[in-house]
Amino acid sequence: MVVNRPTIIIYTREADEDLLREICAGIEEEGVLYEIHSREGNLDELAYEAAKESMLGSGIGVTGQRAAMQMARLPMGKNVFELNAPRFWQCRNLGSNSARAVKKMPFKPVYGQEETR
Amino acid sequence: MKLIAGVDIGNSTTEVCVGSVGEDGSFHFLASASRFTTGTKGTLPNIHGIKGALEDAMYSIRQPLSALDLVRLNEAAPVIGDTAMETITETIITESSMIGHNPSTPAGAGEAVGYLLFLENIWKGKPGVPYIVVASSKFSYEETAARLNQHIPELDIRGVILQADEAVLVENRLNKRIPIIDEVRHISRIPEDKLAAIEVALPGTSIRMLSNPYGIATLLGLNAEETRMVTPIAKSLIGKRSAVVIRTPNGNVRENILPAGEVFFHGEREERVNIDAGADEIMDALRNAGEIRDIDGQKNTNVGNMFERIKTSMADVAQSQDHDVRITDILAVDTLAPVEISGSLAGETCMEKAVGIAAMVKTQHLPMQKIAEKLEEELHVKAVVAGVEAVMASLGAMTTPGTQLPLAILDMGGGSTDAAVLEPDGSVRTTHQAGAGELVSMLIQTELGLESRAEAEQIKKYPMGKVESLFHMRLENGSMRFFEESIDPRYYGHVVLLAKNEMLRIEEDIPMEKILEVRREAKRKVFVRNAIRALTYVAPDHDLRKIPNVVLVGGSAEDFEIPEMLTEALAEFRIVCGRGNIRGTEGPRNAVATGLLLSYLSERQGA
Repeated sequence: MVVNRPTIIIYTREADEDLLREICAGIEEEGVLYEIHSREGNLDELAYEAAKESMLGSGIGVTGQRAAMQMARLPMGKNVFELNAPRFWQCRNLGSNSARAVKKMPFKPVYGQEETR
Repeated sequence: MKLIAGVDIGNSTTEVCVGSVGEDGSFHFLASASRFTTGTKGTLPNIHGIKGALEDAMYSIRQPLSALDLVRLNEAAPVIGDTAMETITETIITESSMIGHNPSTPAGAGEAVGYLLFLENIWKGKPGVPYIVVASSKFSYEETAARLNQHIPELDIRGVILQADEAVLVENRLNKRIPIIDEVRHISRIPEDKLAAIEVALPGTSIRMLSNPYGIATLLGLNAEETRMVTPIAKSLIGKRSAVVIRTPNGNVRENILPAGEVFFHGEREERVNIDAGADEIMDALRNAGEIRDIDGQKNTNVGNMFERIKTSMADVAQSQDHDVRITDILAVDTLAPVEISGSLAGETCMEKAVGIAAMVKTQHLPMQKIAEKLEEELHVKAVVAGVEAVMASLGAMTTPGTQLPLAILDMGGGSTDAAVLEPDGSVRTTHQAGAGELVSMLIQTELGLESRAEAEQIKKYPMGKVESLFHMRLENGSMRFFEESIDPRYYGHVVLLAKNEMLRIEEDIPMEKILEVRREAKRKVFVRNAIRALTYVAPDHDLRKIPNVVLVGGSAEDFEIPEMLTEALAEFRIVCGRGNIRGTEGPRNAVATGLLLSYLSERQGA
């Protein structure tokens, strides 16, 4: 496919709508554009293809309750972050991080406990 | 054949060196090791560290500790270094509040003034009154935007303060362009109904109105007196991307200048200097006072308390009476220290002028003999105290290839910088000066506002790089380094320290250039100044040019940039100066321990 807008690409297969919405909110807050397409494939493939085809080199794959963030030129299956049935804040930060990868900013925490300071 | 160990107890590390002496007097160095000094130098808790280091050294030659025939301890100079930091003025702001921070993504731009109104109370708002709405994170961005949109037609909403990181999300759903500040953690501390000014800077710039006293005066309608009082707030907001200033009814800003106090030098001449005058004046006064007997500060002032603290803590460890403990040297360094402003809602600080001081404390005698006895008891190996530290260090330094007498050594440790000149006739002149590695760490910690001293130590020790992608980083000297395997994403976008086999992430968001500047400046302020001071003191006729070569030894000589700084600074005086290489293999460490073994040989030959 031809990609001509600078966007983060999200490939989904039967994605959980709530998780997807939080991921998108994370990207939006960072001020980066994104596009969502439905596709066939497993999580690793979706994330890998998304990153490869994103002009910004950053992509996300979502299948059901699982999400993975990937960056271009990383080998398939070696996802930068991977979440299984995550909480909302984790999805939000995963989205933020896909944008921060583009902006070359430090990642937010995705695993562990939510910061409650 | 006999196995002999030399042990050097320093302020920070304990060094040992093991060698064998044959019946015919032939001598071989076998092993050396280094451990952190346990407890304060010259006290019994040192034993633990000594044993550890000896075990390490003996293990490397596969011998039990009991195989040792003799342990030689150095007669450590009874000087202990300590450091302290005192701000010169303290600014206290009361009953006025501010938030200044750098959220990564605020929204909108410009400034706004209005009365603070919580989102849950938005229905109480009156038409015609300017408001700044405060929303806690219990409201989602959709909810916040919806409620604001609902009230925008009737209420005059000028700006928004959010607790969550959702400024852009709210802005994208709002029917009106207004500045929005987010990531305000302590939102519950914001007082409602007060007049507040908020500002979000344009992309790539920092705020302009709230970092300017007249800007705050314009926005909040302050008179001349109030404007003067608000200056510290403006000062602390310089360089921020967004800020909130809240005017409280008794908007009272009290500037409290604590008396900084005077330092008294009791020496050949009595000298006194106000600490306000800065480091240069203090050091001038110290020089004018000549040989120092003691130094103290004016009672009940910042500096007075500081000297008091150093003396009492040292008296505790040295287990001697207060009057036995004397401060014989100080090194004062100008610095900046963060001072917390009491009106801040998120713990903001402002940088205030401060003086960092390292002091050299002299006690009557360190209980080295006791350490030797105790060591003998625990190890069942004969232990003796032998040789003066500086002489031993000179002997050890002599094993550096390419040196000749007269030789000056500069022993840069953790607590003190010691210098000695060894003349061809065997006479030695020495000095101990306050200020070394630990003062550098303290300066780095305060100037960068770091939480832990350990992190400052690491910044001092290792070069840096910034991880720019998962496959490369830019090093502090501008070059790039590429990686075959992708870097752990935890390091992405961070400044990292390049320790031997790992990368250490710097948690604070400080640009690499800033860290570099502070690190180099701290080292220069302490070591270059102290090197010249110490070498001038021991040089023949106090003329630096009469010293032909200087060997740098001690822990701080291992640093990756301090020796080069000194080589550069001393080249001016035509001095050959460089990092020592003890026995041609050990680098700058282990000089004293090596000297202890060498002196054993000469004693035997003499006998």
